[in-house]
Amino acid sequence: GQGSGSARPQPLEPSLLRFLVCPLSKRPLRYEEATNELINEELGIAYPVIDGIPNMIPEAARTTQKQPPAESSEQP
Amino acid sequence: AAAGLCPGRALLARRRGALRALRCSVRGLAAGRETHFGFQTVTEAERREKIYQVFENVAKKYDVMNDSMTLGIHRVWKDILVHKMNPSPGTLLLDVAGGTGDIAFRFINYVRSVRERQLQQKLRHHQNLSWQEISESYQEDKFNLLGDSQVVVCDINKEMLKVGKQKAQHLGYSEGLSWVLGNAEELPFDDDKFDVYTIAFGIRNVTRIDLALEEAYRVLKPGGRFLCLEFSHVSNPLLSRLYDLYSFQVIPVLGEVIAGDWKSYQYLVESIRRFPPQEELKAMIEDAGFLKVDYQNLNLGIVAIHSGFKL
Repeated sequence: GQGSGSARPQPLEPSLLRFLVCPLSKRPLRYEEATNELINEELGIAYPVIDGIPNMIPEAARTTQKQPPAESSEQP
Repeated sequence: AAAGLCPGRALLARRRGALRALRCSVRGLAAGRETHFGFQTVTEAERREKIYQVFENVAKKYDVMNDSMTLGIHRVWKDILVHKMNPSPGTLLLDVAGGTGDIAFRFINYVRSVRERQLQQKLRHHQNLSWQEISESYQEDKFNLLGDSQVVVCDINKEMLKVGKQKAQHLGYSEGLSWVLGNAEELPFDDDKFDVYTIAFGIRNVTRIDLALEEAYRVLKPGGRFLCLEFSHVSNPLLSRLYDLYSFQVIPVLGEVIAGDWKSYQYLVESIRRFPPQEELKAMIEDAGFLKVDYQNLNLGIVAIHSGFKL
């Protein structure tokens, strides 16, 4: 079954990159495959991709300013 | 129950003609503003939280409950919505609050069958070709069974999306379908991207409907269509009374028996009563900039489909 504890994180559907922008600034995002995140460089925030689904709620994003540990965000 | 039609609706009826000055997260600014949750008065922040919980609780039983409450008729309403849309292959659809995928799957089925008919037509016109040529022309289209049609399902609720994704896998939908966790009031999509925007039985649960409508306008391509399927108002007095009886006496009981959750279904019924009637919603849609706005009542107004264009 598709549990939330899957070993290999599902990557983002590539076709989504055509449409997705930061919900706050409406500016383009960079997909970081290594951490499976969508990064808004300008605002310094990263939206997680969980089970292949990008979580584009601002509260779910983490800031990228400092060097936070590369862990998947907690689900709110 | 009829006494529930209270002044709270005035809050929703506030029409915002002015542009939003800031593009920052609305929730931060408006957390304290008063609004309603069913017949209760709550802050906007509380309302969002409560609604999130409602759908978190009902997600797994959502489809079963829909069938029970509407005696399966919701399927017909959704069929009608997609038929009204009449999408041609190549259409890009954004289905907001589309959680469990009902509209998305119907869209895919529809464009698939249109596409099949196109291919059959094409083959019929190739009567003079050799088998080799015919089979080659069929091969080209083999990997394009949806004709480049795509649907993005956007929902604010993780549990609903999870159910939707599982359903998709179960039913064999994968091509041309993607899922995004996002807020209708603050969509994570670029301007002028989609041919059609649908929101079926979702707009009622949005706290700032005006913002959701503005966002819908923004992400649609010029010429794009907005379609909203939602519970609405019954003007026929006899039907209205029967509907009230059914809503307030039967539905929460079904909710308790089937989903073990009376309160969520009490909310559902109250939220339907609080939602603007047909003409008012039409005006709100026009306020967002849509043109040729119209609505179609189904079942004497129990449900209505509103349509508008970005022209």
